[in-house]
Amino acid sequence: MLALTRKKGESIVISDDIEVFVIGVQGDQVKLGIKAPRSVSIYRKEIYEQIQQQNKEAVNSDEDVVNKLEDLLKSR
Amino acid sequence: MLLNTKNFGQIEIDENKILTFEDGLPGFLDCIHYILLTNDDKEQRPIWWLQCTDKGNVAFPVLNTFAVLENYRPEVDDETLALLGEFENSNELIVCNVLVVPQDINNITVNLKAPIIININTKKGMQIEVRNKEYTVRHNLYQEIEKSKKTEE
Repeated sequence: MLALTRKKGESIVISDDIEVFVIGVQGDQVKLGIKAPRSVSIYRKEIYEQIQQQNKEAVNSDEDVVNKLEDLLKSR
Repeated sequence: MLLNTKNFGQIEIDENKILTFEDGLPGFLDCIHYILLTNDDKEQRPIWWLQCTDKGNVAFPVLNTFAVLENYRPEVDDETLALLGEFENSNELIVCNVLVVPQDINNITVNLKAPIIININTKKGMQIEVRNKEYTVRHNLYQEIEKSKKTEE
């Protein structure tokens, strides 16, 4: 992994069209600004991993229980 | 076109209704095309299936959330919505949320943090992380149903 030291207000450039700025540093928190084309998806890693995992479990859902849940929701 | 599916056997799908998720879905980046199986009356059914048409064995049960959780108010940036193309009003957007339905009904969860949003004009869809801090990826739906039952009694 490449490690770079940057100060507040400095940035790094990835490829031609992505730029990551250090906007501020406070204690152990770093505030980043990201300039990227709109088609580039940016997620906080821990949220992205949770979504990935949830989607993988979703396709293994139990179809009978889905039908049961549907009946339960309809009967409300 | 005929599609072999995991849950529904071989089904006939209308190619005009195929949706495009350009970036796929997290965990399924190579699953780009889908069809939303809502059966006959989509307004009424609380659960739909988002069936991948690239891979028949990939299908997500999704919640027709506005029909079930009346207070659900996802906040999405206009810039992000613009990725789905133009729409005139919010009726042209379909919002649904991925369900995880294990054998134990008590553990059914719904991802309120990252709804699936579909623009029916452009037939483009995305799974979008919303700004709301109160929503989680694994919201327990069964407990929610039980809770609302108690409030009604």
